[in-house]
Amino acid sequence: MASGSLFLAMKAIPEDPIELKFEKFPDLEQIASERERMGLNRSWLYQYGLFHLKFLTGNWERSLQTGRLATDDVKLFFPATLELSLIAMAIGIFFGSSAALFARVSPSRWSQNLAMSFGTIGLTVPIFWIGLLALVVGSLWLGIFPLGGRFDLAAIPPPDRTGFLLIDSLLAMDGRALGMTVRYLTLPALCLAVFPAANVSSVLYARLNEPEVNALYTALRARGFGSVRIVFRHLLRVAGAPVVTVIGTSIGALLGGAFLTETVFSWPGIGRYVVTAIIDRDLFVAQYLLLMLIMLVFGVAFLSDIVARWLDVVSDSQEGGKG
Amino acid sequence: MNRILGMRANDWLTRASISVLGFMGLALLAGCSGGGGSERSDVFVFARGSDAQKLDPADVDDGESVNTLTQICEGLVRFKSGTLEIEPCLAESYSISEDGMIYRFTLRPNVRFHDGTPVNAETALFSFHRQMDPEHPGHLKEASFSYWKYLYQDIEEVNAVGEMELEFKLSKPNASLLHSLAVFPASLLSPASLEAHGAAFQRHPVGTGPYIFLDWRPNQVIMLERNDDYWGEAPTFKRIAMTVVPDSTVRLLKLKTGEIHAMDGVQPAELAALQSDPKIQVFQEAGLNVGYLAFNMDNERMANREFREAVALAIDRETLAKVALKGAGRSASYPVPKGFLGYPDREEGIPLNVEKAREIVAAHPNWFLEPLEIQVMNAPRQYFPDPVTIATFIKGQLDAVGIPTKVVSSDFKAHLNNLRNGDFEAGLIGWMGDNGDSDNFLSVFFASWAAEKGTATNYSFYRSNEMDRLLLSGRVEADLEKRAVIYGDALRLWRKDLPILPLVHGDNIVVMQSGYEGFELQKIGELRLGWIKKSKPEE
Repeated sequence: MASGSLFLAMKAIPEDPIELKFEKFPDLEQIASERERMGLNRSWLYQYGLFHLKFLTGNWERSLQTGRLATDDVKLFFPATLELSLIAMAIGIFFGSSAALFARVSPSRWSQNLAMSFGTIGLTVPIFWIGLLALVVGSLWLGIFPLGGRFDLAAIPPPDRTGFLLIDSLLAMDGRALGMTVRYLTLPALCLAVFPAANVSSVLYARLNEPEVNALYTALRARGFGSVRIVFRHLLRVAGAPVVTVIGTSIGALLGGAFLTETVFSWPGIGRYVVTAIIDRDLFVAQYLLLMLIMLVFGVAFLSDIVARWLDVVSDSQEGGKG
Repeated sequence: MNRILGMRANDWLTRASISVLGFMGLALLAGCSGGGGSERSDVFVFARGSDAQKLDPADVDDGESVNTLTQICEGLVRFKSGTLEIEPCLAESYSISEDGMIYRFTLRPNVRFHDGTPVNAETALFSFHRQMDPEHPGHLKEASFSYWKYLYQDIEEVNAVGEMELEFKLSKPNASLLHSLAVFPASLLSPASLEAHGAAFQRHPVGTGPYIFLDWRPNQVIMLERNDDYWGEAPTFKRIAMTVVPDSTVRLLKLKTGEIHAMDGVQPAELAALQSDPKIQVFQEAGLNVGYLAFNMDNERMANREFREAVALAIDRETLAKVALKGAGRSASYPVPKGFLGYPDREEGIPLNVEKAREIVAAHPNWFLEPLEIQVMNAPRQYFPDPVTIATFIKGQLDAVGIPTKVVSSDFKAHLNNLRNGDFEAGLIGWMGDNGDSDNFLSVFFASWAAEKGTATNYSFYRSNEMDRLLLSGRVEADLEKRAVIYGDALRLWRKDLPILPLVHGDNIVVMQSGYEGFELQKIGELRLGWIKKSKPEE
């Protein structure tokens, strides 16, 4: 379904990508021969079938703009975004859940405000603004972090094995490259982490304050368990399921945020690549990549639902008996 | 069983978060202590907003690709720095036959491509034959060679007539060919590099220029290394990095902190502050471009000359250049930039005459019932650094004389598509010149053969036999003075028929840190970074 609507959407744009490829000197003959070479003069059904066949076999077309194979570009740009997003997700979950748990374990106005403000900031402040602010503070004032980029321009990156610079520099046992990677990664990751942190903290905080969870907490306290132990051994398990679902669904938002983060931090990722492809009417790249991203977002959401359900079953069978 | 699984899940979460944090902390320490390398001291870093698309001079049209290639490869002739005069480059000398049909170039001896291949007539042929001959192995099927058809269409044959002699045979005389041969699509590439790199040839340029292509990390940096065997004046920096910084605010921050040394794509609003900053030098001069308002003459009311005249008389272009360009350009009086063949000594152009515009409006009230729709792109171009502001300014001026106006903006490709297909009433658009010749502007704007719906560059769909005749005779006339007369006539005819209203010429702007010298802006906008060096500190 997704691929069908995507294909139709691409066909529905009023501009002809091949015509527009020739920005300065459009020429009928050249346009016709390009269209023929790419099979764009065949029937829509044929094109649609071919699009899927090529998508599934990984035999993707070349970008109209750069002439590189779209698959090569994915290998080039996707790991950069994935690395950034995963780290950001980890940081976001860590800070988000810490804030929520802290507010639950030692409920004071101060700690509760912290958990709430995480939510408010993360969900309302635009990410490019946070990014610029982080650059001004982290690079200009503190001078610790570079002003964007993924790796020092003049330095030689570790040999490319996985595309993930963290893993590549570990594999190469190159401490200097690792340090550089982390220095470049920190600010954009912190920025991108704000959104998942906000989501996780608000959902977890709300869940922890539900009556049944409260009752469980009071009961366990009454038995004389320490609050830290209760939180880590019992409450997290009970409250975990919705949090996992939220994490799964925020992948989409994370990829959306990746475009802005990548622009502000000059990060060579897939977000900027896809948006540029759409603006440039780079037909095949836009089609393939959007379909890939849609599948990714659905896949992760589906997976997180399964994990959440499993967590629910686990907690029911255990906490249900105890509580 | 469940209990064990449950334990694992929550242990894993705790451990993972602790280890991630610890790992980050450790690596950060390592980064801080090991970050003081001196790799950058001999690298000149130039930043722009996007990456090059391809590095094949015969198949690019984006400024980023061209600006990178300028350091790497050269043609037979080139523009003398800062001018539109032709001087020898890889050809030591040249001669043109009297009838203008044969061009002969004698190649410079002892020049080698970066891969060691000697430059001679045989190896030089490659770069031309691969563009002309569809059967040539270098005529890659994914390349479009679109410049060849436009700038070099009159070249019939290129032959080696001696070891170092190259001969171009034309099908008809072409007065701007020599200028076209100084433009990037005519650069020489090493034929051996096609064998070495195969299809990836378009991303591994091997030329003769002051810098050698070293490495390309897409959307990050293209690294170039000094060519120590360069035939001309030796380049200075060990390396040049052409890097991508998409956000213009961040780009400027980087320049101010010294992370980059020079950049383009500065926002006009920042210019005034930069010009008074002693740590920054601003290079700025009129570019070979024009931003104009195209009137779609296939449109019913637009077909009236008086309608177009009213619009033209009502727009104060001087103020437009000051207010909407914020100093990043100047007002245009003619469709070609100043100094072009045919540009009159005494400028007349189009006067500002609000009263006359009001009279026309009063005389034809029924023309102005519906608002005039002006279409505009929403992303900056060199001729329109802030297109929507320009459109809004024009709307204000037209509204004031009683021509109700509305502005519709869209992204560049969609805008271009509307213009090419004639789906508009009036449109803001522009042209960036290629070779500094009047034909390269006037034929694009006014030739009837460029007014085919779908592939038009004559967005006014202006068709005039008289204009066509002038344009064709200008192309074959070899005598400069006679050509100047022809293009002077063409400009007068433009003023009479007014298919387009020229508005502004956007400036070429490069911003650089102080303390560097040896850089000069080039008329056609190419970027020559090869001879930049650190200034000697003042005593």
